[in-house]
Amino acid sequence: MRFHIITAAFLWAAFVESRKIRGISSSYKRFYRERKSFLCIDGSKIIPFEQVNDDYCDCADGSDEPGTSACPRGRFYCTNLGFRPHYIPSSRVNDGICDCCDASDEYNSHARCQNTCWNLGQKERAYVEGQMKTLDEGLRLKQQLIEEGVLLWREKQAQLRELQRAAEDLQIKLEEHRKRKHEADRLKEQTLKALKAGDRDVRPESSSCGFRHQNSTVSHLFQLLDSNKDGSISLDEVKAKVVLVHDETRVLSEDEALTLLGGGHQMDLSKFQNTLWDVLTRGDGYKIKDAHSAPGGLMSEDPHLKAADRAAEWEAADLKKVEEAYETVNMEISDLQKKLEIDYGTDWEYLFLNGQCYKLKVYEYMYTLCPFNTVSQKSTAGTEVSLGLWGMWAGPAKNRYSQMVYENGEPCWQGGSRTTSVTLTCGTETGLRSVKEPSKCQYIMDFETPVACQPVLKQRGVHSEL
Amino acid sequence: MATFTERMGPVLLLWVAVCLSGSWAVDKGNFKTCDQSAFCKRQRAMKPGESPYRALLETMELTNTRLTLQLINDNNKVRLLLELYRLQGNITRVKINELKPLKPRYEVPDVLIREPPTEPLSLLSQDENGVVLSLGAESQRVIVSARPFRLDIVEGRDVLMSLNSRGLLGFEHLRMRKDTQADPEAENKEGTDPANPAETAKEEEEKVEDGMWEETFKTHTDSKPSGPSAVSLDFSLPGVEHVYGIPEHGDSLKLKTTDSGDPYRLYNLDVFQYELYNPMALYGSVPVMLSHNARRTMGIFWLNAAETWVDISSNTAGKTVFGKMLDYVQGSSETPQTDVRWISESGIIDVFLMLGPTPRDVFSQYASLTGTQAFPPLASLGYHQCRWNYNDQEDVRSVDAGFDEHDIPYDFIWLDIEHTDGKRYFTWDPHKFASPKEMLQGLQDKKRKMVAIVDPHIKVDTNYKIHNEIRSRGFYVKNKDGGDYEGWCWPGSAGYPDFTRPDMRAWWASQFAYDQYEGTMENLYTWNDMNEPSVFNGPEVTMHKDAMHESWEHRDVHNLYGLYVHRATAEGLIERSGGVERPFVLTRAFFAGSQRYGAVWTGDNAAEWDHLKISIPMCLSLGLVGISFCGADVGGFFKSPSTELLVRWYQTGAYQPFFRAHAHLDTPRREPWLFGPENTALIREVIRQRYTFLPYWYQLFYLAYQTGEPVMRPLWVEYPQDPATFALDDEFLLGRDLLVHPVTEEGARGVTAYLPGKHEVWFDIHTFQKHNGGQNLYIPVTMSSIPVFQRGGSIIPRKLRVRRSSTCMEHDPYTLYVALDNRRTAEGELYIDDGHTFNYEKKELMHRKFSFANGVLSSVDLEPNAQFTTKSWVERIIILGASKPSMVTLKTADGENQLEFDFDASMSVLTIRKPGMNAGADWTVTLQ
Repeated sequence: MRFHIITAAFLWAAFVESRKIRGISSSYKRFYRERKSFLCIDGSKIIPFEQVNDDYCDCADGSDEPGTSACPRGRFYCTNLGFRPHYIPSSRVNDGICDCCDASDEYNSHARCQNTCWNLGQKERAYVEGQMKTLDEGLRLKQQLIEEGVLLWREKQAQLRELQRAAEDLQIKLEEHRKRKHEADRLKEQTLKALKAGDRDVRPESSSCGFRHQNSTVSHLFQLLDSNKDGSISLDEVKAKVVLVHDETRVLSEDEALTLLGGGHQMDLSKFQNTLWDVLTRGDGYKIKDAHSAPGGLMSEDPHLKAADRAAEWEAADLKKVEEAYETVNMEISDLQKKLEIDYGTDWEYLFLNGQCYKLKVYEYMYTLCPFNTVSQKSTAGTEVSLGLWGMWAGPAKNRYSQMVYENGEPCWQGGSRTTSVTLTCGTETGLRSVKEPSKCQYIMDFETPVACQPVLKQRGVHSEL
Repeated sequence: MATFTERMGPVLLLWVAVCLSGSWAVDKGNFKTCDQSAFCKRQRAMKPGESPYRALLETMELTNTRLTLQLINDNNKVRLLLELYRLQGNITRVKINELKPLKPRYEVPDVLIREPPTEPLSLLSQDENGVVLSLGAESQRVIVSARPFRLDIVEGRDVLMSLNSRGLLGFEHLRMRKDTQADPEAENKEGTDPANPAETAKEEEEKVEDGMWEETFKTHTDSKPSGPSAVSLDFSLPGVEHVYGIPEHGDSLKLKTTDSGDPYRLYNLDVFQYELYNPMALYGSVPVMLSHNARRTMGIFWLNAAETWVDISSNTAGKTVFGKMLDYVQGSSETPQTDVRWISESGIIDVFLMLGPTPRDVFSQYASLTGTQAFPPLASLGYHQCRWNYNDQEDVRSVDAGFDEHDIPYDFIWLDIEHTDGKRYFTWDPHKFASPKEMLQGLQDKKRKMVAIVDPHIKVDTNYKIHNEIRSRGFYVKNKDGGDYEGWCWPGSAGYPDFTRPDMRAWWASQFAYDQYEGTMENLYTWNDMNEPSVFNGPEVTMHKDAMHESWEHRDVHNLYGLYVHRATAEGLIERSGGVERPFVLTRAFFAGSQRYGAVWTGDNAAEWDHLKISIPMCLSLGLVGISFCGADVGGFFKSPSTELLVRWYQTGAYQPFFRAHAHLDTPRREPWLFGPENTALIREVIRQRYTFLPYWYQLFYLAYQTGEPVMRPLWVEYPQDPATFALDDEFLLGRDLLVHPVTEEGARGVTAYLPGKHEVWFDIHTFQKHNGGQNLYIPVTMSSIPVFQRGGSIIPRKLRVRRSSTCMEHDPYTLYVALDNRRTAEGELYIDDGHTFNYEKKELMHRKFSFANGVLSSVDLEPNAQFTTKSWVERIIILGASKPSMVTLKTADGENQLEFDFDASMSVLTIRKPGMNAGADWTVTLQ
């Protein structure tokens, strides 16, 4: 009951006011007190009061015609009781289009305007209520996400530290292993040298130079294999003389022998020197049967050399493993550092988005936004097109986390490359809400997430003039 | 619209790649030079002074209205028939056809609004050398000389114009192909006299040249089933140094001589990224040339729709020996002279010599032949917002809202090809434009309108109703083998309806009915693009010349195709409203007569300063030949304009007849509010200026509709005796009363405008500063400056309450701008009607005349028989160049009352406050 009286009183007051001076707000009433003359609000001119709202523009600032369309720069105040009051340009007064929901702008036109303020107000209130709810819920979720963000951030930091520690450990290990490998290599070298020296003692005639020494060893070995002395090694000769290191008893198969002969059935000295000789002297796969008598097997069969060789190999393999581990950890570190270098908001509240992807289908295209990484578009028929890679936050100074920019996507037909601008709006869920391409290769996305909810919105909502 | 896009099929992609591999400019190699066009090369090779044509005076027949006479080519004995008519309004028509062609030659239909009414001709004298005829009541005569044949039109002692004076009349008679030996007898029978052995010998010399029976350009072969059929004729214009017209070319207003290069070419072509200042053919052709000197303006209308080339030379040539009968009229032999030669590929010679003498006379003469500018709906004179493309309904809604948010008026928003369902015209994309009526209603609620594109190429798709109907009715243009002609265009493979057929046009028009064209309502209008026709994989990006339009080859009708598309569409829009509403249709291709169907724009220009500059002479040239409703894409279609260029383009476009911003798909958005608040304000201001002048624009269009006078006109039209105005390309007049010199230079700090008229005064419309005429005036400019002047002696009604759209301003009051001349007088007019129907034809209109003299301004009715009432009233009278009165009195039928006024002594401006009378009333305002 009391509410109705207040409303009625207010309506009456509004009616009286608008009857007097149309198109002004109550705060401007003081400029329009009924007197003999009217001073333009900008002070530029004094006119008789009858000329206020007489449908002729006298004041340069339009202040004499708040209720008509006469002044080009004038404005008309829609009281819009029950809804939000607002100004419209004077040019919309009596233009046949209903602009004020209280229909006050069309007091002299064909337009049949209904007063829709109450309905609009209801809708607006419901909407605002919904928004408030969303905002409340959003802010609650945001708080959670902030907390999670902080935890996640800490976790990531810890992870980073762990990785860094691991890297440090690996670094130490790496150095150790390098040293050990170096040592093993040196030992092998020494053994080999010593062995070579001994070999030279046995057959000094062939020691003048390594090449000849090797050559003679090669030809010795060749002759050993070439049972029929026809200058080439045949398949049968290989099968007769060559065995596996690890299984001396088994006779080689046709295929194995063929492989050793490089696929051919015959092998001459020069080919032998480049292929089979290597295999035999390496000593890790094949050897000559009863090698003790074979002069060429001398080196590979030396137990010291064998041990040194094995040790060197062992160390090399170990070092490689450590090196790989080190590399992997460092890559992880740099990935994580890169990820952590990104600005995730003051409370790391946007951090959780990194690693997620959000999809939306618009007409024939499927759009995918992976925040802080990539944006792409895939047509139902075609291939995936990059619409940009993470660039930066691009909101205004006041709210820089309200917009993201993704740059350097697929090049465009007429130069430049695709870019996407993502606007973040407050919502209770996180997801892509709309995608547009207002100009070729320039995409605009609307991305909703609780972390975009701002307490400031709430204040504004509360002060909304309803 | 562009010619190419990445969204086209694979064939096109290849094409695109080829096109883009070059620079940002037209690939000239895609288009023929005269040398590459066999008939042009043949005709241009003819030497002056060796005309083989002789008039057979004994064959002359003179009836009251017509002279006929046979001409014989002494080389091959082929006879031609010359017809000469005197037409009402000082026009002479000369027709030349073969006396007995093997088959009929094409005579252009549907361009003349009627069979032109004739006037009597009479014989003055005759002897064996020639004939002298009197042309009507004036002292004009036509002298027909027999050997060689020649026509001279003479007035008093002056030769106005001579035909075949250089002996370049060429007429390739139709013949049987000799190498096929189809009928060897036919050759002998044809027009030769076996009794004369010399003639037979001559005929043997006529050898078959390359390109007579077949011609290949790039990968395209023209089969030329009819063989050579070119026609050509030369005209000499003694005393003439300035010729204009023959649009469309990206060239200066004053036509250049073509001796050192190619002739101007008229062949409707879709030229990708056209270049400026050359004679290459563009999208439209109007074969009308105007000549002007301080004493006389004349026009030549060469009615031929085939590929045409026009050579212009300016020298003192053509002084071939005049016949004896001419001797007495021979004046100074040193007068400057312009020689013109027209060459067309087929058809006949049918030429209208419009003899002026004033520019207005020529406009009215041309209008009497081809009609005047269609009177457009008032809203179409407002601002148009276009882009390739507004993507969907939401996009349209938000752009529309942007105009309201930034308080910028506009009347039309446009949809380019992407709005359709897969480039199937008359349809809507089912996702992006799912509820077009809802969208249109949203615009209607704000009294705004929309234009959607409908191109003439029809997707070959058996699931497409329009295609099926056209195919089943046999309405498609046929290829040379009789099947439906198919070419590549936006939808991929497409057919081209034969718009030359009246039944096809009627069917097309019926497709615009609200129940046929789904999702449409009365605020949707149409845009015809690509109607040259554009065929991406055709020769020179157009249709094969041997394609068939029933019994005629495309060769014969090419330049007419676009006009027919435009016409059928405009008729469709008229029909859908039951003949009530005026249509609005924009076309890219055009021909003589296209003015009757709507608006024209200068096609796919570019965001470059030179393109801004060329918009002036291009639209001036169109205006001179009847097409007043002309504009260029504001901002430039290709490429992206700098902010300065965009603002300057708005400032220029706001003072040109068709005012539409448009942009290519690949360019960034450029709605007026996207360039910062300062530039938004500049653009808003100039669009608002446009809207304040809408009453004047509307009145100018009414005048153009009534008289054929161009809306946008060169200065020489109003100052025909002032040679300083003859070649101005950077300023123009709107009607008689507004002089516009847009700023078209980058970084300009000032412009020099020529203010014509020694006795005139001109008032700056912004500052009211008064300047004397007959001087070059330096005007310092800033970014907000648009140098525009109102002529002293004029009264211009304006509406200063600029609203969301022109329709919203319908009932608004007027402010009269009375600019006094040196005699302290002024005159002006006001035209009002409902703005959108044909009811003005039933005299539902108001046409008033304002005059100011002796301190009295009065309004009188120019059309007392007309009936129209308006709510609009006069809210303000501003008198420029006034002195201070002591009292201002208004007298109407209701009595007398005194008016308040304000006088600005520094500028001599008198502002009369709120006289308040209805705009349709009789009244006087007296200054005492």
